[in-house]
Amino acid sequence: MKSIQTLVLPAGDVLRQGIEGLRDPRQVPSLRWSLACIAIVSPIYGFAMGSFNLDLSRTLYPLFSACKLPIMIFATSLLCLPGYFALSTVLGLRNDLHAALRAIVSSQAAFTLTLASLATFTLFLYANGITHRAAILVNGFMFLVATAVAQAILRKHYAPLLARSRKHAFMLCYWLVAYVFVGVQMGWMLRPFIGTPGIPPTFFRAEPFSNAYIVVLRLIFPGS
Amino acid sequence: MSNVPTRASAIVALDELLRGKLTSAAQVRSGTTPVRIFGPWALALGAIHGSFIAWYAIANNSPGAWRHLFYLMIKLPALFLLTLFVTFPSLYVFNALMGCGLRFRATLRLLIATIVVNLALAASLGPILAFFTVSTTSYTFIVLLNVAILGLAGIVSIAFLLRTLMNLQQDSPSDSTPVSTESPARNAVGGMFFIWILTYALVGSQMGWLLRPFIGYPGQELTFLRPRSGSFVESVWNITAGQANASSNPRR
Repeated sequence: MKSIQTLVLPAGDVLRQGIEGLRDPRQVPSLRWSLACIAIVSPIYGFAMGSFNLDLSRTLYPLFSACKLPIMIFATSLLCLPGYFALSTVLGLRNDLHAALRAIVSSQAAFTLTLASLATFTLFLYANGITHRAAILVNGFMFLVATAVAQAILRKHYAPLLARSRKHAFMLCYWLVAYVFVGVQMGWMLRPFIGTPGIPPTFFRAEPFSNAYIVVLRLIFPGS
Repeated sequence: MSNVPTRASAIVALDELLRGKLTSAAQVRSGTTPVRIFGPWALALGAIHGSFIAWYAIANNSPGAWRHLFYLMIKLPALFLLTLFVTFPSLYVFNALMGCGLRFRATLRLLIATIVVNLALAASLGPILAFFTVSTTSYTFIVLLNVAILGLAGIVSIAFLLRTLMNLQQDSPSDSTPVSTESPARNAVGGMFFIWILTYALVGSQMGWLLRPFIGYPGQELTFLRPRSGSFVESVWNITAGQANASSNPRR
């Protein structure tokens, strides 16, 4: 019971800090707590996302999506971390690395907490019988809301670092650009998350891997 | 007792270099920045980044891709170190002419340290390159991603070099007064830095042209070196002129 309380109670703090402002940098949750939060909470929204048009033939979709959402978050972070570490070191910010990582990971925890809180909305809309296209838009909107909350919290948690050195602004910018750049492709490679009706559930698509940016470019410029 | 560096001390030395702890004015001048550790580091980090570049040929099942991986692990560090070999005499002379006061070995130590920083940053961004390589067949996208990664690593390492040069100038034994933003000493450092970067970039781009192919165009044979033809500048000129002609004669 006590261990559940130690996990759940800081969750409220993480979200409140984003709204009320961070008065004390020590209030940023520990790295271990944030990582545990992402690992435990992110499958909740993954499960909800994969529950579209649920019937017996699609029972694996929620399970696959519940596995894939934490994989997406952790794998993207792992790919971006070596560059972040090396750049921080060369810019002379190594002493602040732990604080910066705590801020980043706590914002990701906030992202997953917000998504989990929106899971009931998604399930409610699925229950209303929305189309596959509408389901994609709904999930896109939920991710947008969660990203906005995570951004607000990241900025609050990063504020003491930015006050210490302007170089942290460069590192924050690098993290955001690299994370979004890699994250979009990671999400594209790990699809399907929602699952097209009539197609049996698979962990990865049967087609070979492709590049999300090239696909978007070809949609905008068909001849390219 | 031999003075051969252990693996742990080599890693500690690299970490301290990246943190700027080995490039204080006194250390660069006195020679405590260990070249015998950073030389091998430049080779190792270049080989690591070279192997990430080679993933594109491997992912596309290009004939001779695994051999190309081996070639790139040699060619990438060679690109940086051969450029330094060609440019070093002139870089040292410019430094002496502009009164920056760095001795021969100190100049070499500083430039090798900068190359190590550049390659360490490029290697640390390698996982991102490898990840995109696995899922991308577009040659243009991979070329642009390589340019972006090497560009970012280059800019940060240039900033590292400039910061070290400024520290050296501020701590100059011949200059007891503090350096103001408009002082001749600061201008000398700025001028030398500009000449160094220009010289290194010009020779480096031609060295890159000479050592191509790096990424390997799909369908083209992956050789260690292509036959010598033209130069980097000539190639850029021809492409630019070709584009200009095409736009002025759209029917051609």
